[in-house]
Amino acid sequence: MIASTCRAAILAASVSLLGAGAVSAQELQYWVYSDFAQGDALKLQEQFISEFETANPGVKIVISGRGDDDLTSGQVAGAASGTVPDVFMNGLAVGAQLVDVGALANIYPEWMAMPQEFRDQFDADAIKSCSPKPETMYCIPYTGFGEIMYRNLTVLEAAGIDTKTPPATWKEWYDQMVKVKASGKFAVPDQTQVFNSVASMYAIQGDKAKWGIDFASKKTLIEQEPMARTLQMFIDMAPLQSGTSRNDQATKDLFITNQLAFHVVGPWVNPSYEQAAKESGLKYDYVLVPGGTAGDHGGIKSYEIVGVAPGPNKAIAWKFAAYITEKKQMARWAKLLSRYNANAAAMKDPDVAALPLIEKSVEAVKYAVDVMPPYFAGTVPNCYRTAMTDMASAAADGQYKAEDGAKELIANLNECLQK
Amino acid sequence: MNPTRHLPHYAMILPFAVLFAAFFLYPIVSGFYYSFHDWNAATAPRFVGLANYQSVLSSRDFARAMTNLFNYIVITVPLGIAVAFGLALLVDSFTGAWANFFRSVFFLPVVLPAFLAATIWRWMYAPNFGLVNMVLGWFGVASVNFLNDTGKMLYALIAVDIWVSAGFNMVILLAGLKNIPQDLYEAARLDGASRINQVRYITIPMLSPVLFFVITYGFISALQVFDVPWLLTGSSFTAYGGRRSALLFPVMDMMGRAFGSVHFGEATAYGFILTAIIILVTAAMFALRRWRTPK
Repeated sequence: MIASTCRAAILAASVSLLGAGAVSAQELQYWVYSDFAQGDALKLQEQFISEFETANPGVKIVISGRGDDDLTSGQVAGAASGTVPDVFMNGLAVGAQLVDVGALANIYPEWMAMPQEFRDQFDADAIKSCSPKPETMYCIPYTGFGEIMYRNLTVLEAAGIDTKTPPATWKEWYDQMVKVKASGKFAVPDQTQVFNSVASMYAIQGDKAKWGIDFASKKTLIEQEPMARTLQMFIDMAPLQSGTSRNDQATKDLFITNQLAFHVVGPWVNPSYEQAAKESGLKYDYVLVPGGTAGDHGGIKSYEIVGVAPGPNKAIAWKFAAYITEKKQMARWAKLLSRYNANAAAMKDPDVAALPLIEKSVEAVKYAVDVMPPYFAGTVPNCYRTAMTDMASAAADGQYKAEDGAKELIANLNECLQK
Repeated sequence: MNPTRHLPHYAMILPFAVLFAAFFLYPIVSGFYYSFHDWNAATAPRFVGLANYQSVLSSRDFARAMTNLFNYIVITVPLGIAVAFGLALLVDSFTGAWANFFRSVFFLPVVLPAFLAATIWRWMYAPNFGLVNMVLGWFGVASVNFLNDTGKMLYALIAVDIWVSAGFNMVILLAGLKNIPQDLYEAARLDGASRINQVRYITIPMLSPVLFFVITYGFISALQVFDVPWLLTGSSFTAYGGRRSALLFPVMDMMGRAFGSVHFGEATAYGFILTAIIILVTAAMFALRRWRTPK
């Protein structure tokens, strides 16, 4: 009796499991940056997912937030083991690595199969960044940034600077920095510590078209003369800076407590400054980064991307990627976070365009230099970044004259690329 | 001899053996294979002979990481053990609740997750507002940029590392101290030996096996230093080691080559070079101990 009951129970369980398998959802793994998987951002992502699942019965999207390093290492390891997430975010700058390991599918056929109206929504330059050669496309550009310059108005006013007109050129900016330092405050963070801040400064003095690498000849495109001008800026700024990098929490603390005048960075620090303005009366604004000449501007730009993995889920993964990057979703995303993105049509939405941070970001992107072009053409070795920041720091520390430093830097960059 | 007699014993070690083979032996053997190949984890490995080893050994970052490591070890290992030994003597001088209290307090940093410890210290080291600079400010010392001044970064790291590891070494040394027969101290006291002489002629010689373990373990840990400098410098796979690579260490460099540059072959070669160094250092320490041990 007991044995037959057990047999019946096992059979029933087997049937129910088989039945469940037959109707189980097609599950897509969707990896996003950790800050997109918390708070209001997560709620909106979940709303997108819910809408997509309703429109596509039988599909289930599982969202997972990851830190920058976890995203990349997880995608690399996933590609090696055949468990790469179906849809995922990452940065343009690591695109080549992801292509190398086979984590990114060529979505060109799917892209071309979309209506022209959809394709026209996106920023043409951003799309170009995802398309390294004809009939090849590895990503849809997603959120992005153009660097802006945050100004602490209290510090500037205390230094006797008229804050109504932001500095238009490097010279005007430098003069203001000197005044700030004379008033006992820090002018800027140490711009030599992070590759992106070196790039940002180069964009002020250098030839923006030459900030990059020729992967075919394995040589840097950077020329000695503009690099020497850039290094000279680091030398000039050395006595005026805070010693903290642009990414350090300490830099934000200095700015919030009226010890630091300028912070050149992306829009992601604005929520902290906005909160400080409400809570502790921080007086600040943001303007375009000054250029070498009036009318031009410095700073960097880049995009986060949405990629689709090759494999059996590619078609539905592409459909989901196209859904979340479409104008309606991107406009909602921009409104919620006040963050610029690559959907140009969404950026022109009147409600979005009226947001001050987005308005400034759209303007900044027009002038900014790409952080690490050309994308998807080759992996930038770590020694390239290190050589750049090391020389910038060494010049700022007084160990090199600008001309000598630029010459040696270019030799170091080429040596690194030749390896 | 009946082979079936030992079957239950083999069966008992089988679960460990399987897991050990899967998670230690296989990665070691496959890693050794990949160290001779150009491999990015996705495409087929391409045999390159010793090129990966040559590439690592000739790179500037390797030289810099090794120089940093040498400077770090020669300060951290002796200083860390001296601090732990001092704490062990201190705790040993207490009895009852106070001994338990101090032992727990000094051990607390050991159980703290590394990221938390590093975050706390990042805040403490912050220029102008950090606790350390605030205290220095009371004495009229200007703000020090502990985490970005290349002349001070290594010392800032060493302070954190000693803070983290001293408790662990202290507990081991304390256990060794408890095993020293008290009559040796009583005899020394009767002979009029001072406290310092008791430590020098009784405690240290009697603790030598434990000290050997602590020193060897300290060397091996120091050679693999990674998490604290990685976190203190806010490193990522594409940018690590802090300003002018002042806190670049071999394991960080290895991780960057693997997941930043996706050169897994080179990274595994790096791992084997580091392993060889660790084996050499450990063997040298054992040889030294054997040489110094009276026959």
